[in-house]
Amino acid sequence: MSELLIKNGVVYDPINGVKGEKKDICIRDGKVVEEVKNPKVIDAEGMVVMPGGVDIHAHIAGGKVNAGRLFRPEDGRRGLRPRTKVCMPESGYSVPNTFATGYRYARMGYTFVMEPAMPPLAARHTHEELIDIPILDNAAIPLIDNNWMTMEYVKSGDIDLLAAYIAWMIRATKGYGVKVVNPGGTEAWAWKKNCDLNDAVPYFDVTPAEIVRALAEANERFEMPHSIHVHGNMLGHPGNYEVTLKTYDLVKGITPYRDRPVMHATHTQFFSYGGTTWRDFESKARAIADYVNANEHVSIDIGSVIIGDTTTMTADGPMEYSLHQITGRKWTNHDVELETGSGITPFLYSGKVSVHTLQWAIGLELALLTKDPWKIALTSDHPNAGPFIGYPILISMLMSKRRRDESAKEMHSVIFDRAELPSIDREYSFYEIAIITRGMTARTLGLHEHGKGHLGVGADGDVAIYDISPEERDAGKIQKAFLNAKYTIKGGEIVVKDGEVVSAPPGRTFFVTPECESGLMDEMTAKLKEMFANYYSVSLANYPVQDAYVPNPYEIRAPWRS
Amino acid sequence: MVEITDVVCPLCGCVCDDIVVEVEDNEVKKVRGACAVGKSKLMGHGRIKSPAIRANGVLKDCSYDEAIKKAAEILAAARRPLLYGWSSTVCEATKVGVELAVEIGAVIDNTASVCHGPSVLAIQDVGLPSCTLGEVKNRASLVIYWGANPTSAHGNHMKRYSYISKGYFLPGGKKDKKLVVVDVRETKTAKMADRFIQVEPGKDYLFFSALRAILYGHEDVVPDDVGGVAKKELLELADMMKETPFGIIFFGMGVTQSRGRHNNIINAIQVTRAAHTHTKFNIMPMRGHYNVTGFNQVCTWETGFPFAVDLSRGFAWYNPGETAANDILWRKECDAALFIASDPVSHFPADSIRHLARIPVIQIDPFANPTTEFADVVIPTAVSGVEAEGSVYRMDGIPLRLRKLVDTDYPSDEEVLMRILEEVRAIRAKEGE
Amino acid sequence: MQTIRLKLKEGVMSGVAKIPVIVDSLTPDKLSGKSEAEIKAVKVWWGNREENTGDLFEVSVEGEAGSAEEVKVVMEGDLTRVKYIGAGMKTGEIVANGDVDMHCGALMEGGKITVKGNADCWAGREMRGGELIIEGDAGANLCAMYRGETTGMTGGKVIVHGNAGECAGQYMAGGEILIKGNADILAGLNMKGGKITIEGDAIMPGADMTGGEILIKGKVEDMIPSFKFVETTTIEGEEYRKYTGDLAMTEKRAKGVLYVK
Repeated sequence: MSELLIKNGVVYDPINGVKGEKKDICIRDGKVVEEVKNPKVIDAEGMVVMPGGVDIHAHIAGGKVNAGRLFRPEDGRRGLRPRTKVCMPESGYSVPNTFATGYRYARMGYTFVMEPAMPPLAARHTHEELIDIPILDNAAIPLIDNNWMTMEYVKSGDIDLLAAYIAWMIRATKGYGVKVVNPGGTEAWAWKKNCDLNDAVPYFDVTPAEIVRALAEANERFEMPHSIHVHGNMLGHPGNYEVTLKTYDLVKGITPYRDRPVMHATHTQFFSYGGTTWRDFESKARAIADYVNANEHVSIDIGSVIIGDTTTMTADGPMEYSLHQITGRKWTNHDVELETGSGITPFLYSGKVSVHTLQWAIGLELALLTKDPWKIALTSDHPNAGPFIGYPILISMLMSKRRRDESAKEMHSVIFDRAELPSIDREYSFYEIAIITRGMTARTLGLHEHGKGHLGVGADGDVAIYDISPEERDAGKIQKAFLNAKYTIKGGEIVVKDGEVVSAPPGRTFFVTPECESGLMDEMTAKLKEMFANYYSVSLANYPVQDAYVPNPYEIRAPWRS
Repeated sequence: MVEITDVVCPLCGCVCDDIVVEVEDNEVKKVRGACAVGKSKLMGHGRIKSPAIRANGVLKDCSYDEAIKKAAEILAAARRPLLYGWSSTVCEATKVGVELAVEIGAVIDNTASVCHGPSVLAIQDVGLPSCTLGEVKNRASLVIYWGANPTSAHGNHMKRYSYISKGYFLPGGKKDKKLVVVDVRETKTAKMADRFIQVEPGKDYLFFSALRAILYGHEDVVPDDVGGVAKKELLELADMMKETPFGIIFFGMGVTQSRGRHNNIINAIQVTRAAHTHTKFNIMPMRGHYNVTGFNQVCTWETGFPFAVDLSRGFAWYNPGETAANDILWRKECDAALFIASDPVSHFPADSIRHLARIPVIQIDPFANPTTEFADVVIPTAVSGVEAEGSVYRMDGIPLRLRKLVDTDYPSDEEVLMRILEEVRAIRAKEGE
Repeated sequence: MQTIRLKLKEGVMSGVAKIPVIVDSLTPDKLSGKSEAEIKAVKVWWGNREENTGDLFEVSVEGEAGSAEEVKVVMEGDLTRVKYIGAGMKTGEIVANGDVDMHCGALMEGGKITVKGNADCWAGREMRGGELIIEGDAGANLCAMYRGETTGMTGGKVIVHGNAGECAGQYMAGGEILIKGNADILAGLNMKGGKITIEGDAIMPGADMTGGEILIKGKVEDMIPSFKFVETTTIEGEEYRKYTGDLAMTEKRAKGVLYVK
């Protein structure tokens, strides 16, 4: 029996409504308990204590992440750190190796990360990397929107069969939910085309709008912990905010299985653009935030820009190609048969460039204009808008108007004409930061029911202790504290002490098992077999992810809703 | 007799996964659906019987414990050890290999450094517009093999994935497709082609540059003859590329190992990008061994770099040309080498092999090969994909799991490496005391 | 002036294996102000172990230096596996008596290095300033970039008295390289600024150039077929054909200039 007592800390535990109270946290055998008898004691006097961070969206593992590492040795060399007694060598800045990914998140006090884009055919790869990411609990969401099977069922209107298909896919990939990335557009990209929300997908005669609506309905056929997770159409295009709002409207009226949104719209910064070209490009964060403020069926994460060089990567192949066309930098594309695709290209966000400056402002505006922090999550769409290691910078920006003003002065003057940020006074509190990095993310993913994102009795003993006074408003000190936690505790074990990793246990992989009626499953499987026999380049029998790839499993069953 | 279906073939980068195998008395008796070489691999041949240690010039049988202990002693004492091979074993073994390399400060490298390493270097310069093989099967109406001869090296490639296969948008199979072969000589594949273009050896680079200029609309500057190819042929090829809705270039060692090496591949990828301004165009290396890609994947996610990783200073330093196996061998830097699932002696240049004769060599392999003659410690293992299971990555990056078909007393590669690692750690701990 | 002599001990390179020694810690700026004993205690990597400089080199110090600028490091002995000589140096002078191994003068910012012999690959890699003189031949990737980077040398001056290996000046963005002998395949590959002068012959120079200037006084073998002839021009009394390119990079980016006889 191992016991830990964290005493005298100022605790921020939003899910349990704890708003900065001096409170002891007791942990026994990895779980939060009422009291302990003979514990190891950490004195957190004068420090900020939060549940372990829960990242709702960061590309940390899988084929395209690794393709990013592979083709960027110049990024690899920017994060070299030698091995230690407990750590493997680290490499990379925007595309860190798996070990560095685990260590760096842990140093920031995070204990759970969601890999939000798993190509089903390459799911084994994603899981192999997740195994090699130390410390972090994790999960991965398979891409199920550009799949030929999905589009055929959308076309025929068979939502139940579509539900059977997504159930099969989530099980076959040991996945967590339904991911949508440029629905229809990625299939069109196989012919070097793209789709707007109401365009017909070439040869399949369905529209992206129909795909999104149908997947949201199919997802709610089950007691799924998470809503559909959507990267919509026209990401990164000037004027796309209207498409974004129409996408949100598509799922309005669908009843979720529990008290949560029916759509999580991800990295919203890239979808909040006004103007018609890059010349008259402007922020439409206000329009998006207004919608989110007025509605309950959509949650968002900000996808905020971190100034500097990064590696962009998404299943949105056409978007990556247009980015590559702008910069002329190296570009990798990898279309995946019958399912999805991906593109990768390096990108430098510069505060001297008007568009980048506005992008930077938009992410922060979304966080500051959305009134209820329970509807919004802190992300940088790692590594697309910047690497996760920049989160402490974002936190300091949200908490300090002064820091934002100082930064704005250094950036392109367009920020004063076509963005709202300079006129926003709001500053986040530690409690609100705890919401957008823990409470909201755990709840939106449905993980709060499985021990994540809070410190109530029965929760996982995942705790971050930051060496900073709850009164502190100095942005530099805030950033420093959140970059290197005083302590990070994972499952009751101290994994980080004074900003250094002192232990690196393996993480667990959470996956969902949707339970589908067997008649439906049989009917769907007959069609699936045809797809494999004729069009896939692998056998159906070799497709599902074997148990060997989830050595530390945590299963969440999702019964069919009768 | 037991029939096992959907067997995954542990031979080449095609990783066919629809093989049928008949097993009787714990032996593979029949193989259906594999090419001749794949079949031979699945049936097994020429196994090493026992671990052995060389004494007075002769390999003498010993126990696994003795061989593993000896191997660990050699590696723990080395100042510039090399761990090389990895392309014909599973990713689980590679993972232990990386851990071992970190523990002993070794250079770890795979056979890519003597085949498609240049392709990796090229990707690091310009990226790789590519796709999975099923995309090719379903959509590619123009298939170009460049310096590659799949009829001999990748037996099922055309049938399963490219020119001969039928796909969703190309139900007529090869009737709906065009095949172009570019090579320095008329290969068997070239004889099947709708169009064969013969380029002079070492002139691929010029050919690619000219093709790019044409695809970008600057045919006026291109001379009448480029590397032995008439400008007219270049223009026609460019037209074919522009007109197909979906094209693919498969390139082989004919491009990676000729003059200009990785720069040829960069230029081939640049051709693909130029074609991509007109239509959908892709390019893919024809990777050789079944898991050469898998090593590069694991090594990349674990160290940040795909091959030729030097861990001597505790962090990963990647610099092929300096840190590849051959570099540290012919330059005589290396003072101990472990070879696994490969045969460097058959593939490395003479200078490297001469150096191998002077340093302690450990071999881990199911099969005897010319490298065995140079080994001071030999440790036989199970054949992955026949006697042991594990992850492999197809040439297009698709991960598959090799199956175990029969039982064996041989330990797996992973198991042997793990025991060496433990032994090394024990030695280190003792030194520390 | 201060002269620090570092002579590699014979035993270091006399074994079966010639294990490289990494000496980026032995630049004038890093050794400046150190006593002989302190220099001997500076760590250098020898294979996978760190050693004291004094264990691998015979060290002697003559004279005094008021600043790093006045420090001259003289390296002697078998330097063919001594890597990173003068790497990252900012000031002062290094003289290497003999052939040196890879990365000599890599990331150099200032000062002067003279190699009295050949320099292996990546000499002057990503050099930013200073002067590098190679009295023998230079290996491949002279003044080029690290893998995956798109900027090589940005400043400084390099003179190679002998020949240069392949891809000399790859992704060069500034500075000057003078190669008195021949340049192997693809000199000035991806070049975007600066100037390369090749007094001897070259093979396929200037491929994928987007800027900068290459002048070849000798013969050119396998001229890149995607360059555009502009005019005939006279430089230093000799007639050259001036080309721009590389059009394989698209017209918009083809801003490199190639002078060929």
